[in-house]
Amino acid sequence: MTDFLGVVTTRHAYALFVLVSAIGLYMMIANENLVKKIIGLNMFQTGIFLFFVTSAYRIGGAAPIVEHGAGPYVSPLPQVIVLTAIVVGISLTAVGLALTIRLYSAYGTLRADALREVIGDE
Amino acid sequence: MSSDRLNGDTRDSPTDSRVARQRPLYSESQVIMTTVKAVIPFVLTYGLFITFHGTSSPGGGFQGGALIASVVLMIAFAFGIESTRAWLSNTLVVVLATLGVAIFAGIALVPMLLGENFLDYTAYYPLLGDTLGLKKYEFVKYGMEAVEIGGIAFIVAGVLMGLFFALAAGMTPTSETNTVGDGIGDNANADTDDTGEVSDATDAGVSDDTIDDSDTDDATDAGVSDDTIDDSDTDDATDAGATDDATDGGDRQ
Amino acid sequence: MSVAAATPSVAGLFPLQSVGITPLEASLFVFVLITAVLTALFRDVLASIVVFAAYSLGLAVLYTFYRAPDVGLTEAAIGAGVTTVFLLLTIAKTTRPATDARFEAINWPAVGVCGLFVLVVGATLPAFPAVGDPASPILANADVTGYYLANAYDETGAENAVTAVLAAYRGFDTFGEAIVVFAAGIASLLVLGREVFTA
Repeated sequence: MTDFLGVVTTRHAYALFVLVSAIGLYMMIANENLVKKIIGLNMFQTGIFLFFVTSAYRIGGAAPIVEHGAGPYVSPLPQVIVLTAIVVGISLTAVGLALTIRLYSAYGTLRADALREVIGDE
Repeated sequence: MSSDRLNGDTRDSPTDSRVARQRPLYSESQVIMTTVKAVIPFVLTYGLFITFHGTSSPGGGFQGGALIASVVLMIAFAFGIESTRAWLSNTLVVVLATLGVAIFAGIALVPMLLGENFLDYTAYYPLLGDTLGLKKYEFVKYGMEAVEIGGIAFIVAGVLMGLFFALAAGMTPTSETNTVGDGIGDNANADTDDTGEVSDATDAGVSDDTIDDSDTDDATDAGVSDDTIDDSDTDDATDAGATDDATDGGDRQ
Repeated sequence: MSVAAATPSVAGLFPLQSVGITPLEASLFVFVLITAVLTALFRDVLASIVVFAAYSLGLAVLYTFYRAPDVGLTEAAIGAGVTTVFLLLTIAKTTRPATDARFEAINWPAVGVCGLFVLVVGATLPAFPAVGDPASPILANADVTGYYLANAYDETGAENAVTAVLAAYRGFDTFGEAIVVFAAGIASLLVLGREVFTA
């Protein structure tokens, strides 16, 4: 048991990543409103970003603005990936929201189960 | 204008479901206008600073582009989305994004034409070293700055602005039969929309219940379809079926 | 800040290279978790969006705490700023369903699925290095991380190593990302049936 607690306290940010991703996954599955599904997708993505940024962190490290001879730095590479991924995430969200607007204007509802019925009846 | 609009808040209490549905996107609020007028110059300066100093301090093209786009978003909140778009002119937004891609692609692909690798900034040295007076290794720094500022910041700012205006404009129905409810966001300017249909214009000041941003059939079924969008209601499926039959939504593109 | 000294009780219980959690980190974690759970549970879409903005802000502060100021800036500007605006625009253009209850009914099968996800991914937790461990494979790698940190300023003239990697060393990924952003703009215009966003 102490081993489990030890694991969780030393890998606390990774545990947070798992929980946040699970909540995002829950929103994608369980909420019926399309906008909330998109919010859940965003939350899942931010969980992944947290994972990358945590893997780059170093105790006693400084932000990766390098100067000669200064102390240890955190790793810049996962941060580069996350920077790109955040912008790609907002692009994805914007297209998803445009699709939502279009779906609403065509079918008059934002609920996924109602949409399934309506589209299934056509 | 009805007093509801002067609240400066388009999100009202959810008790009246029909009123909560369709609201104008812009309402004149003195607080927002004054704050925005005071704050915008500083935000724009800060956004430009972050873009230009991307190589020496935290920042760069992504953050700076997002900040510059947010300046335009704030102006749109304070003074109306349609008027901001008219002021900015669609051309500027489209040109900003396209120019960004062109600059980035140009700077990146020309070295390949010169025989070097992709995005090899030092390949410019034989060409431009004398005219610009730069040493070989300095080309990397200035090439990076050019790509960050002229490429990434332009693209991100242009596309975020464009997405904002596109989402605010909403869906344009392409069918001829669908005349009402073009989806133009600002109902105060409904008389300028290209479909020119009258329902929005005549209803603009009258009653929020019948203002419909997106869909003619929703307007006619304003009473019925609200049941279908109520999350707490479990027989939405049957109501949605009824709405669909009444509105013929499936036939429209 | 001295991490090990800030939590003497934790370090005493687990005498390994336990780094413990500082109070700032712990409060940030709690804030992020609470806002994430509330985002999932609120029935009203507008409430969900607002709490999601707070969640993004909490994450931005957390990224800054983890010495990633670029990522924190981007998350605050784009995640908490622009995403919230787009979401609000969407519910303004579509609908904000009327609600009576404050919280959603919990969908227990979905909770089961997510619990399974937590268990499966959580089972890999012991395989991760401790948070901030200097001996982790990413940080101890001299060929990649070490090389970039040592040579970024000399080869590119940029002190910000993240920008150096983004625009010079890994510029191809940035090019692809710029094209993706541009394509998203085009795609949303296509979806909304406009050639340009004309009135």
